[in-house]
Amino acid sequence: MLSQKAIESIKELTSKYPKIESALMPALMIAQKENNNYIDRALAAEVAKLVGVSEAHAYGVLTYYTMYNTKNIGKFHLQVDTNIPATLMGARKIVEAISEELNIDPGETTKDGMFTLNEVECLASCGTCPVIQVNDVYYENMTVEKTKELLASLKNGIMPEPKNTYYFGTECNVLLKNRNVENSTSIEVYKANGGYKTLEKALTMEPQAIINEVKASSIRGRGGAGFPAGVKWGFLPKGTDKPIYLICNADEGEPGTFKDRQIMEYDPHLLIEGMVISARAIGAKLGFIYIRGEFDWIADILDKAVAEAKADGKLVDFNIIVHRGAGAYVCGEETALIESIEGKRGEPRIKPPFPAVEGLYGCPTIVNNVETLASVPFIIEKGAEAFKAFGYENNTGFKLFGISGNVNKPGVYEYPMGVPFNKLIEAAGGVKGNLKAAIVGGLSVQILKANELADLNMDYDSCLKHGTGLGSGGIMIINDEFSIPELAYRTIKFYAHESCGRCAPCRHGSDSIKMLLEKIVVCGNGTMQDIDTIVKVCDSVKGVTICPTGEAFSVPIKAMVEKFRHEFEALIK
Amino acid sequence: MGKQVSIVIDGKSIETCACNTIVQAAKENGIHIPTLCYHPDLKPSGSCGICIVDIEGFRQPERSCTTKVQDGMVITTNTKKLRDTRKTILEMILADHDTDCPACLANNKCELQDLCDNMSVTTQSIPKNLKKLPIDNTSPAIQRDPNKCIACGRCIEVCSTIQTVNALTESGRGHKVFITTAFDEGMGNSPCVNCGQCTVFCPVGALTEKSEIDLVWDAILDPTKHVVVQEAPAVRVALAEEFGMEKGLATPGKMYAALRRLGFDKIFDTNFSADLTIMEEGTELLTRATTGGVLPLITSCSPGWVKFGETFFPDLAAHVSTCKSPQQMLGTLIKTYYPKMSGVDAKDIVSVSIMPCTAKKFEARRPEMKDSGYQDVDYVLTTREFVRMIKEAGIDFKNLPEEKADSLMGEYTGAATIFGATGGVMEAAVRSAFFLLTGENLPSPELKVLRGVTNDIIEATVEHEKLPFPIRVAVANGLGNARKILEKVKDQIATNGASEYHFIEIMACPGGCVGGGGQPFGCDLVDRGIRGGGLYDEDTALPLRYSHENPMVTKIYEDFLEKPNSELAHKLLHTNYFQRSEKDGSVIKEVTHKH
Repeated sequence: MLSQKAIESIKELTSKYPKIESALMPALMIAQKENNNYIDRALAAEVAKLVGVSEAHAYGVLTYYTMYNTKNIGKFHLQVDTNIPATLMGARKIVEAISEELNIDPGETTKDGMFTLNEVECLASCGTCPVIQVNDVYYENMTVEKTKELLASLKNGIMPEPKNTYYFGTECNVLLKNRNVENSTSIEVYKANGGYKTLEKALTMEPQAIINEVKASSIRGRGGAGFPAGVKWGFLPKGTDKPIYLICNADEGEPGTFKDRQIMEYDPHLLIEGMVISARAIGAKLGFIYIRGEFDWIADILDKAVAEAKADGKLVDFNIIVHRGAGAYVCGEETALIESIEGKRGEPRIKPPFPAVEGLYGCPTIVNNVETLASVPFIIEKGAEAFKAFGYENNTGFKLFGISGNVNKPGVYEYPMGVPFNKLIEAAGGVKGNLKAAIVGGLSVQILKANELADLNMDYDSCLKHGTGLGSGGIMIINDEFSIPELAYRTIKFYAHESCGRCAPCRHGSDSIKMLLEKIVVCGNGTMQDIDTIVKVCDSVKGVTICPTGEAFSVPIKAMVEKFRHEFEALIK
Repeated sequence: MGKQVSIVIDGKSIETCACNTIVQAAKENGIHIPTLCYHPDLKPSGSCGICIVDIEGFRQPERSCTTKVQDGMVITTNTKKLRDTRKTILEMILADHDTDCPACLANNKCELQDLCDNMSVTTQSIPKNLKKLPIDNTSPAIQRDPNKCIACGRCIEVCSTIQTVNALTESGRGHKVFITTAFDEGMGNSPCVNCGQCTVFCPVGALTEKSEIDLVWDAILDPTKHVVVQEAPAVRVALAEEFGMEKGLATPGKMYAALRRLGFDKIFDTNFSADLTIMEEGTELLTRATTGGVLPLITSCSPGWVKFGETFFPDLAAHVSTCKSPQQMLGTLIKTYYPKMSGVDAKDIVSVSIMPCTAKKFEARRPEMKDSGYQDVDYVLTTREFVRMIKEAGIDFKNLPEEKADSLMGEYTGAATIFGATGGVMEAAVRSAFFLLTGENLPSPELKVLRGVTNDIIEATVEHEKLPFPIRVAVANGLGNARKILEKVKDQIATNGASEYHFIEIMACPGGCVGGGGQPFGCDLVDRGIRGGGLYDEDTALPLRYSHENPMVTKIYEDFLEKPNSELAHKLLHTNYFQRSEKDGSVIKEVTHKH
């Protein structure tokens, strides 16, 4: 049974959204939090009724997102990120330590109901892994020693304050400008450092003038696809009588990517200012920040910042709803994200129509990445030319690069587009051990061997020339202690887990490759034909899935197999 | 016709409507593009990726089911690369599909099997990875085997969009995705109304009827049992297509012959009780209309609709005719009137019905359906199960001689046979209501305005100088349309105190019973229309076309029931309704009372 308080909170949520079904996900989370962290049928039915959806629909949503539990789980839900950067940085040892200490395997709950252990996919802590998420709280930079201390404290019922340390560096001083400023999240501090001045300027500009400036800056979407943001804005239908929505994509789920959280966690008002200016440009009255659900504390920071900005009159003719996801990589794809805000399973739509024409609630919608929107104030304040002074033609501006894996100082580094790969690695403290390979654009691009990296610059064109992509700018460094078949297996496990299942080529392609690699890497009964079948599946999946997820695994897996085939063949008996 | 565009498919220049998708344009022009999840009656989901084609100037293949044609498009549907991709996708689907085909109810009717056959999928390079989930047997009508599910989404689309029942959802993610009900508690614990449209749309055998064939064989072979069978109107137009004959042809004579060879002891016909229903329901309508009773009256012969009404519109229960469905009327009479006339002991009778419908299985098991003192109908077989029995028994259906049903309750009129098509009950009712009101027959029995398979609600007014008032009627097929008309009725009653309609026909299934959930797999609206056409043809060919002219109906009133809506008729042929939970369909309370 929902408490009266929960019912009221859910009713308040339903009044916040243009359509009440959008309240389903946050409402389910409210219900789960007050019910020992899980939702049973009666509770789901209650929530479904309050937000006007069928029970079957609510169940579909509950089973889609990993953060909902439909079965009883422990008081402390320990989730260890075992994705690529985390594995490279020792997550396996953490899982083993917890298993041993609590005498449970991943997926199990201790007999006393205190702990549930689970391995999870990318928590966007690639620079600070290994990470253990305990309920809503991240404990980063973990070691076996620290894990034991954490467990000891939890056994006494105490959640310690997390002590997380981050490496970062900036040469451009724009997006990470306030990174070291005390109380940087407060509007007062932000304003004292010149914040919201650009908004004042933007309010004096015609919307088209803002669009023109952004177009002139040639800024390309920082989420991964690299589509010019100004051009995207231009796709909005002219003179529409429907509302226009602006959505900030803060789903940050691509393995190796942990950059947007730096902005939201340390400079939320920069993002908000960027959103208000952008909303004015495109004529949006309502905006959303779709933030991955695991970033609960960052969402709280944003909620607070939005409230401050509103109270201070900064949200001129505009409002922002912070909408929390609940664990789904595919929701980073813009139409899946829109479905998710509509209170559905976050499955991609068939395109066209594109969101600019028919997006959220069937209305024109622009979806931009956090970093893109946070760059807008600079472009409007200093002008497109100043932005273009960073980087070079077609590859303009400053960019956040997340560096993880086998480097000495993993973290986020802000450099101009086109910065040499080697310079970035140097900034991140250099490679730990001998460089074997790197994946430079988030997990879904082609792996590059050490010799291919020598003259690589971190920009769209240089990456393309090297047969890979800049993607989100998440760089994973792999040293020679790590086997590529194992990396490939770990990679496909991620995608098989995250494939939404909406289309057969992705659903079955990811699973088939996983089964084949399991034979080769884990069971040791793979055959040469299995290696060829992997390539065949990769070729059949690429380009025929509804969203880019099919490409996101077929491209890197095929590259790993082709570039390191000898390592795979060596595993065939 | 919409705006025309010129495109080229496989070298052939084509003019087609700009409203078409590539697959539609190709089909119109005799070009076959392989498809799997696509169904012409549903919004395309694009989930399987089989129908991909190359389009000049496009970076990658596009789905022909979701891509609209554009002027100047040059499309190639069949290259080695496309074939290889399709084959790999099929191979991967098979790795996750229970391929024990001979044991599957959809064997030889399976669209996946057919496609793999056509695409020559012979290799098995993908490791098997079956889900091994339990089979859902919670429903009395429908069985769900998630190990066969290919997650095409058709069942969800028909359940939520066309039927607006919302019993089904996808669960999980990636390879673990399958179709289920809330909290995997099963169809029997969901709002499912047993319409069975999911079974008709399922391309594989993941959703089927719950088979009762073995129980019926046992009864037939039991020498102590007297097995009596009845067949619904729509069954007789769905057999021909299953035995290599003209689709939609009515074959009642061969149907009776087959039943006799299967070993049924007595063969009656639901069409007889359809005529009887018209007498009961027509009388009920006139009584309500002339005594200020609750109007509009809504038909009650479709058990999928009745459960839908009980679940989602319990406050309209008083509008639903108290008449049992023809199946249940005949079921009661088989264990009351028939023993009286024949001397057979009712306790020895096993009453079997052959229905185009899965919801009839549920209806027969309703606890209140025992007015004969026994369960009125013991077993319900769908048309599909009946066809399987004929095949199992090695009967050469096509070459069977025509035979007749047994007398007493085997005779019927044309008005009864059109019960199986949308609008047919209304047409039959109007034919007799006119007679009851005016004492004479309509100038022509045919009311073509009520006919035809459409996605829309049909409304009409029957006017005639001899009628004391014009009769305002509506016909809705498919539960989505039912929902629309019922919302309208509710609104009208709320705002004006009364609705414009006197009489509304509702059939749960698109096209009426000919499109029922128990009919042969793999049909679309066109097929439903063809079967309906077969019933109208039979009506035209029959000597009697008015229910009130059925001599055996006259006889049953004389010998047994006295007159329509008599006390005994009320006891045996009428029923009452309940409010049901939207969560799991369970009874909450009785909302109308039996007279």
